Amino acid sequence: MNRRWLIPVAILVALVQIAFLSWTILGRAQILREGREIVLSVEPVDPRDLLRGDYVILSYNISRVPVSLFANTPALPENDSVERTVFIRLKEGGDGIWQPLAASVDAPAAAALSDAEVDIRGTAYFARWESDAVRVTYGIERFYVPEGEGRQIERDLRTRSFRMKVAISSNGTAQIKSLHDGETMLYEEPVY
Amino acid sequence: MASYATRVKGDIERWAKAGLIDAATAEKLSFDVSQRHRGVSFGVVLATMAAALFAAAILLIVAANWEMIPRLVRVGLLFALMVFGYVGGAWLKLKGRDTLAESVWVLAATAFGASIALIGQMYHLSGDERQAVLVWGAGTALAAGALCSRYLTAGAALLAIVWLVMELGEGGDEVVRSSLGYLAGAAVLYLLSFWTRSRHARHLLLLSLSLVAALNFLDQENLIAPLILGAFGIALFGFDLLRPEAAQKFTGLGSTAAVHGLFAFLVAGGMVQLLHVDTDGFVLASIVIFAGIIAALLLSGHESRLLRWLAYAAFIVLLGMLYVVMLGSMLGTAGFFILGGIVLSALAWLIGRLERRFGTAEGAKR
Repeated sequence: MNRRWLIPVAILVALVQIAFLSWTILGRAQILREGREIVLSVEPVDPRDLLRGDYVILSYNISRVPVSLFANTPALPENDSVERTVFIRLKEGGDGIWQPLAASVDAPAAAALSDAEVDIRGTAYFARWESDAVRVTYGIERFYVPEGEGRQIERDLRTRSFRMKVAISSNGTAQIKSLHDGETMLYEEPVY
Repeated sequence: MASYATRVKGDIERWAKAGLIDAATAEKLSFDVSQRHRGVSFGVVLATMAAALFAAAILLIVAANWEMIPRLVRVGLLFALMVFGYVGGAWLKLKGRDTLAESVWVLAATAFGASIALIGQMYHLSGDERQAVLVWGAGTALAAGALCSRYLTAGAALLAIVWLVMELGEGGDEVVRSSLGYLAGAAVLYLLSFWTRSRHARHLLLLSLSLVAALNFLDQENLIAPLILGAFGIALFGFDLLRPEAAQKFTGLGSTAAVHGLFAFLVAGGMVQLLHVDTDGFVLASIVIFAGIIAALLLSGHESRLLRWLAYAAFIVLLGMLYVVMLGSMLGTAGFFILGGIVLSALAWLIGRLERRFGTAEGAKR
């Protein structure tokens, strides 16, 4: 390579990588600012794998979706599970917690979305041995805490039920917004 | 390097004593050797280790989620480290501090990976570590290509391997598809390594082929993966044996292409043995592997010390394995060993005669 170009190329490499990272941050910040807000209840998780390193693993009321809600389901291989993108339609229940209404694989449900509903995108694990409900993850199953604070949250989670406020972007991407213990807010995600 | 220089100097001394070259030529030759093969500079080694420690520290500081520093400041620090790392490395490269420059670039690439982790932490992203590693690897490969960096190419290869292990380790249902994706990426990195002159990356990528085959084998216990890997190993070995110059040009591995071929063959053989551990196929597989080891020794053993060591080690491991597994009965195994011993003695006798004959023929020519 021409030696004269090495420094400009190095600057370019740094800028390309920084631009990519900034774009990710801005995308997430935009979901937090403009995304549709929903509330989910945080369910007690099997304490064995609750804490791994410095994050708490969370499960929600929509982490298992009944198969009956799905408009379409993928063909299943004999002894394997299939991982597919799914869209779950949610509606606010009487207690303020959003509940699944309908679900579909690959694309949002065909029926028009009313103002009171929202589509959340997730990854579902279809398996033959789980015939009544499907496990779905939404990319919000992990809650990072400062080193050493995980145990306390884990203990609290097992005694009381918590609520999570989640922002949903127009394409269904979910983003954790704030964690609530009854009426008190424990943690709010700053935009940046 | 150092051992090569020492050996050549010993030879030069011997030639000078025997009167083959005069003292002035001997001195010039020794000087040339010591100029070209200076051996390892420990300053450079320590600098590389320091860079590795800094890199690990950066990743740990992010992992600790330390709230004393506001997170935007943490992001800013990492970004600054990336700019200073890439540009500073380029500056050092222009100054001729080659290895130091490479180490600083590794720091910058680590800062890129740490930034990805930090953003995941900031927004509580879950479930896409594999994607994060993929993005990190792609960014590192981009930097390696743009800056023509040896270390970063090897780093990208390592990240690709980590991605593969995570992808297949999580019990994904599409092992073959992930493997093919990895092989495509590995091929790109292999080509890149010629541009960046990164022999380490090529070694890593070739070794990873055995890993790909092993992971596929663990998923689907059949002969497909071992047979492909074994054929590849034999082909690589044969290519190096029959067309050493072309092999050198295409693989860029120096004298180790044959070693990689033998290694792949041995891993493949081990998998076949595992598959047939309780059947007669085990004996057949063992005979083939023994034959392969002996053939490799006879055909290329004199070329490479590493190949000899690999062959000896494999021989011992195979013996131990046969001893433990037993071919039907103790007597059967003993019979197999005796037969093998007879074959090897016969070979030794034959080769000894051939060597003597060639030796006298060479001597007669002079």
